[in-house]
Amino acid sequence: MASNEFVVPAQYEDLTPAPNVDKKTLNRMVWRSYWLQSSFNYETMQSGGWLFSMVPGLEKVHTNKNDLAASMYHNLDFINTHPFLVTFVMGIVLSLEQNKVDTQTIRSVRISAASPLGGIGDALFWLTLVPITAGITSNMAIEGNIIAPLIFLVVFHAALFACRFGLMNWAYKMGTSAIDSLTSNMQAFTRAAAIMGCFVVGALTVNMGGTQINLNIPNGTTRGLAAHTVVVSNEEAENFDLAIDTETAEPGALGMTAEDGSALMAADADGNAVETGIVDLGNGMSSVTYAEVTETPVSFSVADTLDTVMPKLVPLALVMLLYFLFAKKNFTPIKGIVLMLIIGILGALPLNEWLGLTWWTGLW
Amino acid sequence: MDVNFLQIALVFLVTFVAAIDQFDFTESLYQPIVTGPVIGAILGDVQTGLVVGGTYQLMTIGNMPIGGAQPPNAVIGGIMAAVFACTLDMDPNVAVATAIPFALLGQYGVTLFFTLRAPMMESFRAAAVKADTKAITKLTVVSEIILGLIFAAIVTLFFVGGLTAGQAVVSAIPKWLNAGLSAAGGMMKFVGFAILLKIMMSRDMWAFFLLGFGLTTIVHGIPALAKPELLIMAIIGFGIAFWDFQQQTELKGASFDGGDMSDGI
Repeated sequence: MASNEFVVPAQYEDLTPAPNVDKKTLNRMVWRSYWLQSSFNYETMQSGGWLFSMVPGLEKVHTNKNDLAASMYHNLDFINTHPFLVTFVMGIVLSLEQNKVDTQTIRSVRISAASPLGGIGDALFWLTLVPITAGITSNMAIEGNIIAPLIFLVVFHAALFACRFGLMNWAYKMGTSAIDSLTSNMQAFTRAAAIMGCFVVGALTVNMGGTQINLNIPNGTTRGLAAHTVVVSNEEAENFDLAIDTETAEPGALGMTAEDGSALMAADADGNAVETGIVDLGNGMSSVTYAEVTETPVSFSVADTLDTVMPKLVPLALVMLLYFLFAKKNFTPIKGIVLMLIIGILGALPLNEWLGLTWWTGLW
Repeated sequence: MDVNFLQIALVFLVTFVAAIDQFDFTESLYQPIVTGPVIGAILGDVQTGLVVGGTYQLMTIGNMPIGGAQPPNAVIGGIMAAVFACTLDMDPNVAVATAIPFALLGQYGVTLFFTLRAPMMESFRAAAVKADTKAITKLTVVSEIILGLIFAAIVTLFFVGGLTAGQAVVSAIPKWLNAGLSAAGGMMKFVGFAILLKIMMSRDMWAFFLLGFGLTTIVHGIPALAKPELLIMAIIGFGIAFWDFQQQTELKGASFDGGDMSDGI
């Protein structure tokens, strides 16, 4: 895999801004954007489909072959955006590519523009459009109306089509016109883009980082005394006057006094401390409060402890570990993936069954 | 009910298309409300298929692929529900419930597939280095065909093998392996994040990464803000970046002329 190690240059070789991309190419990109998730995977998510969608535009603006290779390579960065709103990001990125902006800036702008769209798109489509249209048409279908699926498809696609074409053209126009004022302050713009990019990655670590160590280590037992109160005759009450050693007695043992004869403090059903003893009620009956030795298992939850230190500590630690491996140890992405697979499977091994490790409950 | 070869081939084809469509292209043909009547038509009972599709669709409405989470797979679930109702004469509601284990199996399968597909990105990178745009198209097509074939093969197997075969497959996967793979799948995104950080990071930038992380843990703790969380963070991030941009450009302007020609200075 080392053969694919490729260093993306900071700047393209040909820095002359390319002429505007024609409408036909933009439309081709829109049609290709329907395949955004074609290579969806958990490493870079939509990157393969993103590059596939960008190719017609990239071919037009990068006539230098080395530039095209560099551009294609960095367009394979991690990206996860909403498939129905992606053309907005495509339009902006294409305008940056066309103006031969620094590669790092393009990368920062791409992730910053793409990431927040996921939430907007979900709210717009999956939580609004689909529930409404599918809700109405499902009821029609259950009543046996064959037109129902067609209505669903037509409404859904009219909305999508408008979104995809409209956003592509609008974003591309916006990108190309705003670019002039931006290029004069390129360094500051690059810095600002990186700030937002790093900020968004920090946010994504929390927002999408669901990994947690759900290990519950059995941590022995705690002993306690539970108070019970009964009303019995005075003669029977004598039978309850037993001394026990609360430190060594078996769980379930009953007692009234400690070995030295003093009364015991026990917790009643509500958790309040009460003293054991016999109270003569004066009518030949006695109210007897005695103690029962209890033992409750205690487990130590790693997740709870980690959360009190800092929520999302595990995702942060994993991102930092991988960053360290990529930045300092020249790890390739594939090595990072294999490492995650190993950690995932190792953490789930049933060691309690195989090796009799009673404390092991699996990490996930 | 006996099924003939043509029906098996058509179910295979419909699943193939729906499997690809669930993530790409129209992202709507795969919905049970559409696959239900189509499968019904293949098996000779459009009406039953339609009712089952509608029933399944209502169940999935609250179960959309939001925020990248994989819900129980609606392609396998929807098609199997229609198959059960049409071939085994099941009540639509029973058919939908019976199909749920299959939908769960599909969900695990998709998670596993997305995890195993990650190494394929190496081929994309190799093509990019050579500026080979045709190879990108080829890889995209191949990737889609593999996805479609896997789904179509599984559904056809269930269709032909019936209920018992499906249950055998589900119980054959050890629970711990399943847990490990889905945990690993959940961690794959960190690889992507770390690569992005490597690209953008410089000493100045750590502050902003930590700021983004810290502020989001606060927002994350507020249930009412869960849905717009990323948008809120993007607005804050944009605010900081914009402020920094202004600071940088004003400082630059004070030391030497970096302004527009139209300033006339």
